[in-house]
Amino acid sequence: MDYFTLTIWLVRIGFVICLYLFFFVLLRALWRDLRATVAASGRSLGRLVVVASPEGMPQAGSSIPLDAITSLGRDVNNSITVDDAFVSAEHAVLTFRGRAWYLEDRGSTNGTYLNGQRIQGVVPLGYGDELQLGQVRLRLERERTS
Amino acid sequence: MSVIVGVPVERPGAITSTLRRWGIRPRLRNLELLLLLLAAAALTVGWISLASQQAGRVTTGDPSVLMVYVGVLLVIHAAFVITGRRTDQVLLPVTGLLGGLSLLLMARLPQGLATQDLGSITLGLAPLQLFWLGLALAVLAVLAIVVRNDDWLRAYKYTWAAVGIGLLLLVFVLGDPTNGARLSLRIGPIAGQPSELLKVILVVFLAGYLAENRTLLARASTRLGPISVPPLPYLLPMLGMWGIALAVVIVQRDLGAALLFFSVFLTLVYVATRRRAYVILGLALFLAGATALYFLFGHVRTRVDIWLDPYVDPLGSGYQVIHALYSFGRGGILGTGLGAGLPAVSGTPGDLPAIHTDFVFAALAEELGMLGALAILALYGVIAERGLRIAVQAADDFRALLAVGLTMVIVIQAALIMGGNLKLVPLTGITLPFVSYGGSSLLANAIIVGLLLALSDRGVEPPPPPSPRRRFLSRGGSR
Repeated sequence: MDYFTLTIWLVRIGFVICLYLFFFVLLRALWRDLRATVAASGRSLGRLVVVASPEGMPQAGSSIPLDAITSLGRDVNNSITVDDAFVSAEHAVLTFRGRAWYLEDRGSTNGTYLNGQRIQGVVPLGYGDELQLGQVRLRLERERTS
Repeated sequence: MSVIVGVPVERPGAITSTLRRWGIRPRLRNLELLLLLLAAAALTVGWISLASQQAGRVTTGDPSVLMVYVGVLLVIHAAFVITGRRTDQVLLPVTGLLGGLSLLLMARLPQGLATQDLGSITLGLAPLQLFWLGLALAVLAVLAIVVRNDDWLRAYKYTWAAVGIGLLLLVFVLGDPTNGARLSLRIGPIAGQPSELLKVILVVFLAGYLAENRTLLARASTRLGPISVPPLPYLLPMLGMWGIALAVVIVQRDLGAALLFFSVFLTLVYVATRRRAYVILGLALFLAGATALYFLFGHVRTRVDIWLDPYVDPLGSGYQVIHALYSFGRGGILGTGLGAGLPAVSGTPGDLPAIHTDFVFAALAEELGMLGALAILALYGVIAERGLRIAVQAADDFRALLAVGLTMVIVIQAALIMGGNLKLVPLTGITLPFVSYGGSSLLANAIIVGLLLALSDRGVEPPPPPSPRRRFLSRGGSR
């Protein structure tokens, strides 16, 4: 085997080693990222972002983590107290059942709206949907994992 | 997420404070830089290997093409750092490495496979591919930096659908037939394949449609024999998609695009509704359509017959597939080495038709061996992982579905053409994303990765709370 053949063989092997070095660094980073995400997950099922709240309670722009059953209304015994003149004491309830969120009106005076439409009975809702109680508008979002 | 998201620049100097005044906060992207440097090192070694093999002595050859390419990648990295978005740091190096491997192969293949005359100089395959790669990466970078809001995609989904169907009709009517497939549209000197762009538009429309109607689609109300299906009006888009796929096969004779559209569509429906009934229904429709097409159309039958037994006509229709199989066999585990492959198989170099488009995977697998082929597979695997992670972390359903659909377009394309090269599935004229030669395909895939990068930025917060003055005005107006 002459000098040239040996050199070119080594260069070829070097190319493959370089490719796999790239993968080694890449996979290590992906693995760490995955571990960090797993560690951070399971904290919350979702959150409500307050889009508009003229009375200031809850504060517009704030975000509220949700439990599997979250009741909304003007009464202080609700999970989220919505202090708005057009909101009933026991207004609506958000539930996470199995794998989706559901919204139910609890016989409020002014109704609960999902994406601008007044709801009847229990309706499913997805992340990104907007609900409105009185003058307060809230958006359901997935919990940030990063 | 400390690894993927960079840390802000610690000490703001004179330049950074100037930038901050314009609302720009530079943010270091160490992982991206490290991966880019490793990719550049690998490509340089590959280039030396290729040039030495071709020259017969140890040399670097003329590295200008490679240097320009690495330069473009680093400029884009610098642009990402300066604009400081918290986008994904893995996608750019992975895309860059795929493009670099493509460039190595294009520099190795006969330059006459694709030429473009520019006055006195004639550009060959490698410079042309470099030009398209550069353009594609520029598009990717612009989308990743500029797109901060998805309303223009979300709000006009029916407009996008109309644009897509219009594009399809335009190709049906005005398309140039090549190899029996009516794919390309020629406007003056520029020829493009609109079906490449169509797949992006399709995903945008489907994501918008499904995000809006997923809760309705997920509820079963009509019973059809043993399986319960959603209300019939919501099934119409599904049948429409099936019709579009069939039309693409019949009129455009493009099996690959049809297969891609339909599988992306089924994946998205499943992701949106989690209903297996849809997948079963879709597969049944697919089987029915495929069987009918097999018996009705010659070009479909030829493809399937070649796949079942290429040795029936080894010098005619089975030639490509047989020689691709020989390439994989010759490559072995370590490969023949860049520049030492194909010509030895069959006399004249590059006489495997469509080696630079449909059969790039076979060519790379021969010269880089199984290890190289696995590396390419793994690169698409990483794209899939990042894309699906972006989908999981998306703030709402539209973005999640969009990310899934865009990722699936790249991954399913790669799977279909690599499987076709290996005779695992019938060969379809699909390109290998970022590796095959061709401007339309590179640009469309760059748009996809650019959008994925933009979607990966989770720094976009909901609109800020209204100021006290706005609050006063909005009182009474909201109900």
